[in-house]
Amino acid sequence: METSFAITGKGYVIVAADTTASRSIIKMKTDEDKVKTLSPHLLMAYSGEPGDTVHFAEYVERNIRLYQIRNLYPLRPSAAAAWIRRALATSLRSRSPYSVNLLVGGYDTASHDPHLYWIDFLGTMTEVPFAAHGYGAYFALSLLDRYHDPEASLEDGLIALKRCIRQVEERLVVTPGKYKVKVVSKDGIQEIDL
Amino acid sequence: MSRSYDRALTVFSPDGHLFQVEYAGEAVRKGTCAVGVRGKDVVVLGVEKKSVLQLQDPRTVRKVVMLDDHVCLAFAGLTADGRVLIDKARIECQSHRLTVEDPVTVEYITKHIAGIKQRYTQSGGVRPFGISTLIVGFDPHDTRPRLYQTEPSGIYSAWKANAIGRSSKTVREFLEKNHKDDLTRDETIKLTVKSLLEVVQTGAKNIEISVMEGYGKVTNLALAEIEAIVAEIEREKEAEAERKRSRLAATAAGQAAMSSRAEETGASDAPVQ
Amino acid sequence: MARRYDSRTTIFSPEGKLYQVEYAMEAISHAGTVLGLLAKDGVVLAAEKKVTGKLLDLSATKEGGYGGSGEKIFLLSSNVIGGLAGLTADANSLVNFARTAAQRHLLAYDEDIPVELLAQRLCDMKQGYTQFGGLRPFGVSLLYAGYDPHYQFQLYRSDPSGNYSGWKATCIGANNGTAQSLLKQEYKDDIEVKDAIGLALRTMSKTMDSTTLGSEKCRRSAVEFAVLTLDPVTGKPKAKIYRPAEIDLLLEKEGLAKKDEDTEMKAA
Repeated sequence: METSFAITGKGYVIVAADTTASRSIIKMKTDEDKVKTLSPHLLMAYSGEPGDTVHFAEYVERNIRLYQIRNLYPLRPSAAAAWIRRALATSLRSRSPYSVNLLVGGYDTASHDPHLYWIDFLGTMTEVPFAAHGYGAYFALSLLDRYHDPEASLEDGLIALKRCIRQVEERLVVTPGKYKVKVVSKDGIQEIDL
Repeated sequence: MSRSYDRALTVFSPDGHLFQVEYAGEAVRKGTCAVGVRGKDVVVLGVEKKSVLQLQDPRTVRKVVMLDDHVCLAFAGLTADGRVLIDKARIECQSHRLTVEDPVTVEYITKHIAGIKQRYTQSGGVRPFGISTLIVGFDPHDTRPRLYQTEPSGIYSAWKANAIGRSSKTVREFLEKNHKDDLTRDETIKLTVKSLLEVVQTGAKNIEISVMEGYGKVTNLALAEIEAIVAEIEREKEAEAERKRSRLAATAAGQAAMSSRAEETGASDAPVQ
Repeated sequence: MARRYDSRTTIFSPEGKLYQVEYAMEAISHAGTVLGLLAKDGVVLAAEKKVTGKLLDLSATKEGGYGGSGEKIFLLSSNVIGGLAGLTADANSLVNFARTAAQRHLLAYDEDIPVELLAQRLCDMKQGYTQFGGLRPFGVSLLYAGYDPHYQFQLYRSDPSGNYSGWKATCIGANNGTAQSLLKQEYKDDIEVKDAIGLALRTMSKTMDSTTLGSEKCRRSAVEFAVLTLDPVTGKPKAKIYRPAEIDLLLEKEGLAKKDEDTEMKAA
């Protein structure tokens, strides 16, 4: 059961997603990376219809990269998220819409603050302090309502993330198992082993 | 005679010329000079940079641009044409990655750019691109440096070293004389600077050097570094001139000695020429 | 000789020149001057509007508008003002294009278009008009004065060939050489908007044919004026295109206003 989380804190965004690739009730592999690095300061976790997800993520990745190569500076997180949302909204109104849910987290090097956007396959977008997609969201959101602190250090942020993961493991019928965790801050992107 | 053959945009003249393409070549020869040199495992692009006017922002003067992480391009000719063509190439680089998951090879993107240029020599109602390009880079999973050139006609070719733009002939001749296979990094950079100095009289401040040392590894030399290289080249030239002078002096002295000896021996038909 | 290559659409001459483009630039060197100054805390544009006849009715443009109701200075986007020199009809269509491009960017990215990108959009189109058959180049040069978070305040200039470049202070149109050298002498790197305004108007008054300026009182030529700064409250770029009355006030302050020799007007 696909699950992704994202949490903002003081100067960073943590983006995490499970690593299972499944088909119907069968686990195909458990080391799939569903958090894409779009630019030096931008991460995107994707989930939804398999195939759609990868295809859409690659499409987004190449377009964001093209913008950076053309203009010598990358899109700001807000602009990138707006573009991605529009791409989804356009696809929704086409003959074969993408069925993809996204968490876009980035660090804005112009205004020096972290941003997180929750986007779903209908083209809804909201900027939020924390977010989740998938069945895990039912457990994580209430936990984060209680434990999220926008001024938290990275360590405290990771503790909050672990709380969410533990809760999902405890309560969800089919738990995803492993997670890929990435953090974006002013220093760029790093992967974290939980 | 040729009157009606070079006005409708690009058509053959009776003697088989495409005048518009040849004239586009003239536009290239008016552009600033760019040099590309391939070393053993490095490839260097050097361009002549026009002096920036006092109130101008140097950031917007760009002669060397990245097409992707691993491909670099320098052009000579009409700047606006260059910008438009570069934009097309950049789109192709990302589009290629999206369709086949691999980055472009240097030859592929060269061929693509040349293809666009060719179309502009043949399709109706357009003039050719007034630019030549030097394209350098490394193919994915490969350590060999690449250097290609494209021309307004749509011709493309691979080179060990080449130059485009103003006085490119002089520079090419210089390169032909001085290029050796398997140059090291420093030798390659030095040869590039040296060849540019053939046309750039004003020295380091009008030279821009980009060095590519492997897939995605690009550095632009700082002004101080280029100045150091220019100074070194000048020192060598000086030393060379000095040697020449002393050699000349030595031979002159030798000859003087000889002739004086000849005088001493009373020989009047000394072979002094 | 050269006539063979300059009568039709844009093609290369044997020397590799594009005569149509060069002639378009020639057209601009007769147009009213526009000059731009980049200051530490803003950008300033000043333009000379040629008034062609005494009976020209300027009442419609008297008030001035937020978008710029003159002929020379326009709001292109909420963060960019443009100053145009050249054929007015061409300029109008370019302004239209620029505004559309800016809004398209806003729609796609939900942010104001970066200034250089807007300049690029226009230049790409201008370049197209020098390359494709049947079209003549645009006879317009532009100054773009704008703000974006990437490079803060910026000033760009573009010409009919589709080239553009960034500047601290520059000038297009008639007498641009004189103005440019005046700016070179007077411009200082850390100039502030309040001083830049004075410098722009002074340079303008020196380069214009008439000795004294006015918003439109002086019928031979008039000034348009605009400033882009950051709103101290919101931190967002704020463009101010001056109304004629405000320009008169400004000129008076700088001691450049027309003296009371318009006796006929006074009497009336």
